[in-house]
Amino acid sequence: MTRRIRQIAGALGLTGTLLVLLAAPAAASGESIGGCAVEAAVHAEEEYGSLHAVEEDKKLFEELEKEMEGCLEAPSPIIPEVDEIIWGGAAFLVLFFFMVWKGMPAVQGAMKDRADKIASDLDAADTAKSDAAKIKADHEAALAGAKSEANQIIEDARAQADQLKAELTARANEEVAEMRTRAAADADAARSQALNDLRGDVSEIAIGAAERVIGSNLDRDAQSALVDAYIDEVARG
Amino acid sequence: MADDRIGGYADALLAVAAAEGASDVVEDELFRVAEAVRSNDNLLATLSDRNLPVERRQGVVEDLLGSSAHPTTTALVSMVVGTGRGADLPAIVDETVARSAAGRNATLARVRSAIDLTDDQKSRLAAAIKSKTGSDVEIRVVIDESVLGGVITEIGDDVIDGSVRSRMTQLRESFS
Repeated sequence: MTRRIRQIAGALGLTGTLLVLLAAPAAASGESIGGCAVEAAVHAEEEYGSLHAVEEDKKLFEELEKEMEGCLEAPSPIIPEVDEIIWGGAAFLVLFFFMVWKGMPAVQGAMKDRADKIASDLDAADTAKSDAAKIKADHEAALAGAKSEANQIIEDARAQADQLKAELTARANEEVAEMRTRAAADADAARSQALNDLRGDVSEIAIGAAERVIGSNLDRDAQSALVDAYIDEVARG
Repeated sequence: MADDRIGGYADALLAVAAAEGASDVVEDELFRVAEAVRSNDNLLATLSDRNLPVERRQGVVEDLLGSSAHPTTTALVSMVVGTGRGADLPAIVDETVARSAAGRNATLARVRSAIDLTDDQKSRLAAAIKSKTGSDVEIRVVIDESVLGGVITEIGDDVIDGSVRSRMTQLRESFS
């Protein structure tokens, strides 16, 4: 790109230089009114020998006068001089061919490069657009997957919570039932223990009373009878 | 070592009783004294207290036995207590009685009863035990009112319990 710009700038500079150089001869072809009159006088003197001879010949004088009057006429502002047309045309042609030779390829190359670049940029833009669309699609798919996964996670969590709730409820019910059973067992055990204690106390009181009654009522004969019974029992084996 | 000492004292007691010609009486009285000491912790502690003067411990023996026991019995118990073996008196007497019975090819049967047994009851009980164990026994009766009624016979480690006390104990256990 920079190289193309430098080539175009160089061609424009060369064209300007040629215009200046070729314009100089054109400018030199123009002449002043005095110069034109002097030139006409010199031309008349060389042709007729001297100006005096021209002044004496009325016809020659009128021709010189006419020629000098012609010097008073201004050049056309529109129609250039012939030599100027020739130089200008030559310069134009040179410049034209130079531009065709040097500038056209550069301009065509730059335009082609520009077109290629625009095409490349368009392709890149299309590719980027395609990629963006793909990324967008991927993101949308990922977002949809994330939403689905989030919904699944929520469902799983809800299911786990329900399961945990059910387990805790069942465990609590089991514990309550176990506590009731244990409490009933403890109550039964306490009742049984109380009955046993009461039975023991009653039996202790009764047996103690019986021992006292026996101890006070067993006279010697009764004691002797018990000894005899014991001996008989030992003898029977 | 302790068994040898107790055996030595037992042999000494047997020898003295035999020398005095009162073996049966002395053995019977020694047995009763030993049972009394065994059943009375305060008496056993007093007779075993080495901090008490020997005369004081022997004075207790004299006060307990005095004229109610054979002099040989009193002298032998006083001797054992005087030598500082009051705590071993029950074991020494048990060994004495056992060795005496063994000398007559018999086994000692300790009979606990609320009343003393008659000679007939003793002989019938000895016969019954012999029929059961196959060996002669010598009956030594210990008056123990805690049995309430009936008899408890101890032959070595064997016990034949026919006391009212054991019946009451069984009844109490059946209620508990």
